[in-house]
Order: sequence, then C-alpha cells, then structure tokens
Amino acid sequence: MLFNSLHFLVFFPVVVGLYYGLPPRWRGALLLLASYYFYMSWRAAYALLLLGTTLVDYYSGYRMGQLATKRERRPYLYLSLVSNLGTLFVFKYFNFFRDAALQLAGTLNLPHAAIPAFELLLPVGVSFYTFQSVGYIIDVYQGRLEAERNLGRFALFVAFFPQLVAGPIERGGHMLPQYRRTHAFDYARIVSGLRLMAWGLFKKVVVADRLAAFVNPIYNDPRQHPEGPLLVLATLAFTFQIYGDFSGYTDMARGAARVLGFDFNLNFRQPYLSASVPEFWRRWHISLSNWFRDYVYIPLGGSRVQPARAYGNLLAVFLISGLWHGANWTFLVWGGLHGLYLVASTWARPLRQQLAQATGLAAHPRLRRGLGVLVTFGLVAYAWIFFRANSLGDAVFISQHLLSGWDLSSQKTAGLLLEFSQHYRPELAVAAFGVLLMLGVEYIGRERSLQAWVAARPAGVRWVGYAGLCLLILYLGIFNSTSFIYFQF
Amino acid sequence: MSSAIFRLISRLGLLVGACLLGLALLGPVVLGGHVDAFYGRFTSPLAGSLIVGTSRAAQGIQPAVLAERLGSRFEGPWLNYSFTLTHSPYGPAYLRSIQRKVRPEAKNGLFIVAVDPWSLALTGFEGTYPEDNSFIGQLDQVSQNPNLSYLTRFQTKPLYRLLLDYATATERLHPDGWLEVKIGIDSAQVRTRIARKLQDYRRLAASQHFSQGRLQALQQTVAFLKQHGQVVMVRLPVGAGLLKLEQDYQPAFDSLMRDLATRHAVPYLDYSAQPYATTDGNHLQRTASAAFSARLAQDLQRLSFPNPSSKATRAAATPQ
Repeated sequence: MLFNSLHFLVFFPVVVGLYYGLPPRWRGALLLLASYYFYMSWRAAYALLLLGTTLVDYYSGYRMGQLATKRERRPYLYLSLVSNLGTLFVFKYFNFFRDAALQLAGTLNLPHAAIPAFELLLPVGVSFYTFQSVGYIIDVYQGRLEAERNLGRFALFVAFFPQLVAGPIERGGHMLPQYRRTHAFDYARIVSGLRLMAWGLFKKVVVADRLAAFVNPIYNDPRQHPEGPLLVLATLAFTFQIYGDFSGYTDMARGAARVLGFDFNLNFRQPYLSASVPEFWRRWHISLSNWFRDYVYIPLGGSRVQPARAYGNLLAVFLISGLWHGANWTFLVWGGLHGLYLVASTWARPLRQQLAQATGLAAHPRLRRGLGVLVTFGLVAYAWIFFRANSLGDAVFISQHLLSGWDLSSQKTAGLLLEFSQHYRPELAVAAFGVLLMLGVEYIGRERSLQAWVAARPAGVRWVGYAGLCLLILYLGIFNSTSFIYFQF
Repeated sequence: MSSAIFRLISRLGLLVGACLLGLALLGPVVLGGHVDAFYGRFTSPLAGSLIVGTSRAAQGIQPAVLAERLGSRFEGPWLNYSFTLTHSPYGPAYLRSIQRKVRPEAKNGLFIVAVDPWSLALTGFEGTYPEDNSFIGQLDQVSQNPNLSYLTRFQTKPLYRLLLDYATATERLHPDGWLEVKIGIDSAQVRTRIARKLQDYRRLAASQHFSQGRLQALQQTVAFLKQHGQVVMVRLPVGAGLLKLEQDYQPAFDSLMRDLATRHAVPYLDYSAQPYATTDGNHLQRTASAAFSARLAQDLQRLSFPNPSSKATRAAATPQ
C-alpha cells in the first residue's frame, strides 16, 4: 500500500477515525494491527519475517534489561545482531556476494562449487526496520536505553506503519516514550500533519513522478542517448526526482504520524543548499547518517584516531552505506564516491582556507558559500549517476559521455534538443514549475519553521492555500501509483 | 473535543467541496467524451453500423461521410469503433468488445471490417493476446457516459493534460468515432515520419508472426457482424513504402482475405495501392480521409448486398 494510492486514501482516515474513537488503552493495539495490515498489503508472508525478528529483538532486549554487565548482555546482543543482519544478508545480499564470489573464482580460474541462488523477493523496508531494531538493541546493550517490557509496544516501535517501509529510522529513546503516552485529539496538530502529508504528496506526484518520465527513458537505455546535453538533463532531473520522492515520502510519513499524535525526527534540511559534502550528509537522510555515525563511525574510532585511520573509517562507513542502499556495485561505487568526497573535503580543509584567503573569497562569505553550494551540488549530482544507473557499465557510459555533443551550433544537437523540448514541452513546464515551487518553499523554510509561518496566516488564506495545493496535486499529479524509490532498500 | 472534531470535519468538507468545484472544469471535457483518443467510443450509444480496425481505419474512415450517402440504406447510429494496433488487432478481446457495442436488435447495419497484415500478427505465443489487459479486453461497459470504469482504470493522463489537449486539440475524437489528427503535413515532416514509421514496422515484421488465432477471430467477427447486417472487408490505402513492406511481410495476405471474403459471402475491397496522401505512410491525411470515405461510400452504393435475412446469408454467418 503506497501513500499515493487509493488504498491508503481509504485506509488512513479509517485508522485515524478508529484511533480517536477508541479508548486510549486500545489505541496501541489498533495501530499495531493497522501497521501489520499495511505491511501485509505488499506480501502477507513477509509479516512473519517482521514478527520473527521483532520477537527475537524483544526477547534479547528484555533479557539484557535484566542483566547488569555488558559481558552478561553480550550473548543477547549477538543473538539479535545475527537475527537482524542475518535476515538482511539472506534476503538482500546473499545473491550479490554469491555472484561476486563466483565471478572472482572464475576470473582467477579457481575451482568452485555451484552455489544456488536464492529466488527470494526482497521484503519491503527490510533495511529500515532492521536498522531501527539494531539501534534499539545496541542502545539497550550500552545501557543508554531501558529495555521495553511491553511486547505490543515494542512491536509497534518496529512496525509503526508511517515509517515502517522507508523510515525515518527512529531511536527507541525518542519513540518508545511516545507510545506510552495518550495522544488527545488536537485540531492544530492534526491540520499541521495533514498539511505536511499534502506537501509530501505534491513533491511525490507532481515533482518526482513527472521527472521520472524524462529520467527513465534515458537511464534505462543510455546507449540510445549518448548525447551529453540529454545525459546532463536526465541526471539533473534525477537529482531533483530523488529528493522529491524521498523527502516527499518522509513528509507524508511525518505528517501521518503527527495526525496520530507522534513526532518523527527531521530527515531532510534543504540538502541541496549545502556548501560542502560533509554538510550535505548532515542534511540528507539525517536519520540514516546519524545511525551510521552513532553505531558504526564512532565505535570505529571516529575522527579521534590517526588521520589515516579516520579517513579509512569514513570510507568504510560510506561503503557500508552504499551497500545498505542496495546489493549492487553501482550503490557501492556511489557510497565509495561520497566517502572519497568526504575524505578529500576533510583533508583539503586547510588548503581551501588558504585558497579563500589568497583569492579574497574569505572576505565575501556569501559568495564563498554560494560557490560551495554549486560545487557540492555538482559533486552530489554526479554521484547520483551511479545511484540511478541500472548497471556499472551504464554508469561508466553516462560518465564518459556527459561532456560529448555539447556543440549547440551543430545541427544534430540543436535538432535533438528541439525534438526533446517539443516532445516534452508541457511536461517540462510542469516539472520546472514543480521543482521551482518545491525549492522556493524549502528555501523560505530554511531559517524559520514554515509550519509556524503558515499557521500564523488568517484561516481564510490558509484554507484557500490548502485548496490550491490540493487542486495542483489533482491537476498536475501522476496517479498511477508509482512506488517510492527508497521502498526498494 | 467534539467541537474540534466538528470543526475539522466541516473544514475538510469545505476543502473537498472546493476541490470538486475545481474539478468541475473538467466537466465539458469528460461529458463531451474528449478525454483521449478512445474514451468517446465508450460513451456513445450502442451502434447500428460500425467501422472496425486499427488506427489506420480510425483516422481513415469518416462515418459522417458514409452516413450522409448511405444513411437511408443502413441502420444508425454510425460509429468508427477502431482503435490502434496495440488495442484492437483482431482477437477474442476485440470481438467481445464489438459484440458489446453493436445494438442487439440491429439487423440492417453496415459493418466495415478494415484489414491489414499487422492486425492479424502476434508477438509471442499463440493464444496469449496483449490487448486482453487493455481497455478492449477489460471494459465490460462500452456505452456509458461518463464511463467511470474507463476513467478510473484506463485514463492515465494527468488532469491538466485533459484540458490542455482539449484546448490545443491536435487529436480530436469526433462523436461518430472518427479520429481527426491535426499535424503538420509539409513534405519534409511527412518524409521524416514515413521513414520513422517504416523503421517501426520493419521492427514489427521482424518480431511478429502471422496468427491463426487472430485470423480465426477475424472470421468470427465477420460472422457475428453478418447477423446484424452487411459486412464489407476493406484494405485501406497506404504509402508505397509500407505497402511494399506489407507485401514482403505477408505476400499471401491479399489472396487470404479474398478467400475469407468469398467463404463468408462478403465483398472485399482493396484500396491499398490507391494514391491517397498520408501523414506518415500509414494514416490518411484529414482531407484524404474525407475523399477516401466518399469514394468508399460511392463504391458501397454500387454494391448489391444480399438480403441479410436470407437463408444463405444466415448459413454463412455461422462462426467457423
């Protein structure tokens, strides 16, 4: 069940109506049932997997809560890690590592056994809920969080439907206390949640899905489109598509949770306005970045080690992050590329300072920041090629041809661009409008809470605005229930 | 709390009302049947006379022209119920759709069955027809205005495109089912389109095979339509390049159609080599379409059709 489907349009109001209509003690059970129903709408059998890992994690956490020392808790930590990461490995990575091993053995002419491939469909959102559970278990093991004793509440923490399939990856310390509280019907909060959901839907169906119409034909068959201008256009379109898609999903998830009285952490803060790649990662998919920081990077020693080791840590974290996104070399290269960006950025920081002093840019912080934003945007957009391409070969092909065919005076290039713009004219106009509106609104919201700004307008203005947004969604949106990109991870 | 709930529900109700009001702009487009190049054929009343085939017939035969000259001889309403090669090649799905669209009580209709090698071709296994999953195969209700089943399941354009396409009207589906296409017809544009179309059809020729299942469905279609009046099989004019390709692809097509027509005691009119102007080598230009429809009407006027209620005709109408 996608947030942009008719199914969800019926499901959500029913859940909200029942939620506020039921006595508070039944609400948790309702949300748990609704969450499992939501998950089972993809493939019912995978709810068993979710239930299984939930039971193992609950038991591990519960037992750890009864034990005083880390040494005593350790077996339960391992039990949970094996359960979660084992599930992830079997369903997501087994075939990837199998293929890689067989390829390597073939290349080196080594004898190898015929390892059968698993024909398993990847459970939706498995990377998200396993990471959330692993975070909980590590927190309990470290003693940072008290184990949850109520199985239903813990199951809801893992399976809560707004964030079950694509995050944000929440922490037990943030969410579990919220599940213990009663959430009264709050008009202002519900309206604010619905507003966020509508805005997220706009980003998804008006911006992301429309941009996908330009991106897909080119990225699905790049050899048919070897012209640099088209490849650059498609890459830029994907840069905004993935932002509209994922941040749109997150807005809808946060909005839905808010309607029910829950607060999720912010997952995006105008990432394309970042002036450096490290800053980008503090603004893009924040819940995942924080997860890797707290559970991988810092335990590895973080930056409090020798520089070479710290760079190694950064690279390792981003390679794992790439692999987390998908069992494909393209994601691994994408992660590695970002790792290299970060290493280079950290290593070259003094050099950049000197350069800024020497060129006088240091005296113009705004200009310097603007340049930083442009360079960062370019680097991030380039890395998206590897994220979106269907294979490493396609990604390399696109990279090699980005700069070819830029002679705009040539008849071929001009004809190609003309044909492209004629073919897509209305769609391009709508996409450009959508992207500009999305960026404009987010730009306004960068320094103050947009929610608060909207809430301060007179009621009439607000509701006319809501009606306008709804009509924009209805008229400009694409409603063929395209899945969200991050659902595959 | 109850006042807050009432406040929320009433405001959401107003919001829904405002949205419905905003959507009312689409009223003339939807109720006028101008949703896309197909929708109007599913909102029009059941027909007494039909033109069936693919896009070649959809653009090439104007029911209004035929009705003007032959209207007194045959039952109306007249409708061009041809779609595209993807949606309406001959097959079980198209036959079922045609059966739904013909007025059950019609006995003296005129049914023009447009044929070409592509509408009897198939990619993949015999018995698996891709159009089964399209509106042709899926739509049970073919005469309903508005046709909610079509709108909710098969209308995929964003709503603004409905207004924009209606306003710019490059394609206009007339109430009688004729699809008018207004595109540039200067010689350079036409040459480019012909080259592209030939390339597309060469690809089709390489990937498709002649389908016995489709041929059988064509025979059943002819047999079914004969129960409701006179049937004429027509091969429409095409550009020289495409005709040559069709002759190479299915050299025996013409004789096959003649045999089939003879077996069913229906006329077969072959205009494929007639010099009518096309937009792309495949579809007739608007003026050419009017001229061809007039010529077809003239030729049909000259034909002496057997009495549909005669024994011999009824025997020929038995499905093969």
